[in-house]
Amino acid sequence: MTIEILEATFSVLTILVVAYLVRHYIFTVIVLRNHHKHKRKFAVKDATYQPTVSILIPARNEEKVIGRLLQRMTELTYPKDKMQVIVVDDASTDSTGSVAEHYSRTYSFIEVVHVEKEDGGKGKASALNFGFKHSTGEILLCFDADYFPQRSIIEKLVKEFIDPKVGAVQGRVIVLNEPRNMVTRLVALERIGGYRIDQEARNHLGLIVQFGGTVGGFRRDLLENLGGWDESILAEDTDLTFRIYLAGHQVRYVGDAECYEEAVDTWSAYRRQRYRWAKGHMQCFFKHSLSVLRSSHLGLKEKIDGWLLLNIYFMPVVVLLSLVIGVPLVLLQSSQWLAAFWISIPASLFSFVGNFAPFFEVGIGAYLDGRRRAQWLIPLLIFTFLYNILICTKACLDLLSSKIAGKNSNIWTKTIHSGDGNRYIMS
Amino acid sequence: MKLVRLALKFLILGLFSTAIAFCVILSFQSVSTETAVTLVIFNLLFGFLTSLLNETLEKKLLMLFFGNLIGLFWNYVFSLFAVVAAGHFGGFFNAIYKILSPILNLTWIVSFWSISLSFFGNPQEEKWRRRRVDD
Repeated sequence: MTIEILEATFSVLTILVVAYLVRHYIFTVIVLRNHHKHKRKFAVKDATYQPTVSILIPARNEEKVIGRLLQRMTELTYPKDKMQVIVVDDASTDSTGSVAEHYSRTYSFIEVVHVEKEDGGKGKASALNFGFKHSTGEILLCFDADYFPQRSIIEKLVKEFIDPKVGAVQGRVIVLNEPRNMVTRLVALERIGGYRIDQEARNHLGLIVQFGGTVGGFRRDLLENLGGWDESILAEDTDLTFRIYLAGHQVRYVGDAECYEEAVDTWSAYRRQRYRWAKGHMQCFFKHSLSVLRSSHLGLKEKIDGWLLLNIYFMPVVVLLSLVIGVPLVLLQSSQWLAAFWISIPASLFSFVGNFAPFFEVGIGAYLDGRRRAQWLIPLLIFTFLYNILICTKACLDLLSSKIAGKNSNIWTKTIHSGDGNRYIMS
Repeated sequence: MKLVRLALKFLILGLFSTAIAFCVILSFQSVSTETAVTLVIFNLLFGFLTSLLNETLEKKLLMLFFGNLIGLFWNYVFSLFAVVAAGHFGGFFNAIYKILSPILNLTWIVSFWSISLSFFGNPQEEKWRRRRVDD
């Protein structure tokens, strides 16, 4: 009887893993089938829709990178009289505030708002809500302090808002400091899979395009109706994505609106960042999974994709459970078909990294980007995934224990940026 | 001339397809059923995705054939190793082998996938980062 229960559990878990692999295979095929189609290159002079834009930059102890971004803001091609840049100095203890103030004195479209010491450090959502109160633009864009956008990025992003159904837009994130070490190189591969394939396929198929919290924006009235960012959720971006869809709007992905990020460059920083993402995403699952299935604004394919998306950080835990249950079953040679299922588990070991892209998806993404040498590192993604199993399992256990205890244990762990990305753009 | 080229293309397609089928059958008869299943998975995955790439048919088929050869060789060597090691270590090794063999088997698929794709890349895209930052 025990064996039968274990077999049934193993089968269900494995079918779930295979469903994700099939989903990403479809994504890869969709992007490959459509990439040959001629896309007219966007030119700044073509931009006809130029609404007023407020750019929110939450910054807490970002003195090494904030100057780089603010300098870039002055170089953007969007009309400065329609731009408002708001730096939210989230009670920084370094010179972030003074660097931002220097730019604010020189450029009239740059403003700095300071969060009081006792109110600061509560996380990105809190800082964004604070900045939101001071903003005036019709469209709100968000950039993290360590990012470095293309000069024409605003035109590329805001042109999507011509369509009234579009409530939010998301641009592409590319790792700036990729050559630094193995961590940054592997993160770059994760990003390629996530943005070049996943987001593009979802956009093409009319599924749930994920707002990534940065390099994107919203309509002001929509954000006001939604009540801003939810400060009780660690993944405020995923939460907002689902609130936008549940309100009957769409998120559009703009792949050619590229922005360069300074990726985490140590395994411990990677762990902290992914733990926050995993826990926040799992919080979103508990908050939105039922609403997604019941929503009248979402079609069947959006509901299925949305539900899979909400579950994605549980998948490393599912793979771990499959391994734990599968090993004794394989040793006991419980049944013939088990061997066939057992093959799919290692396939998943090369999957679900970062934005949860399997190896074939990352490979095609790198191919489309012309990243020939980066492809050689794909087999190493297994280490990232094994690490993700530990991170996501801990996040899952922590969340479940805090739910059982009835405590809200949200601690925002900030990602430290070294400013190392500067040397890849300022030469 | 067009007809000759088309006939030549079909000939190449036929030759490579036969060779690949031969590899799968050989793996089924000489190595194990699992090896044959792995090769079929590899062919489905690699064949379908690379068929959508903007490369010549000959190049894609050649890569697919190489992949099958490597898979066959890998599994053959591995099965020989397993026979020898099982003789030395007995049941314990058998247990470890059963658990790890699919994982190790996938190693060649992922490695071959990553290396072979780099042969397909477009060299014009190599300087992508600097150009796009200033876009």
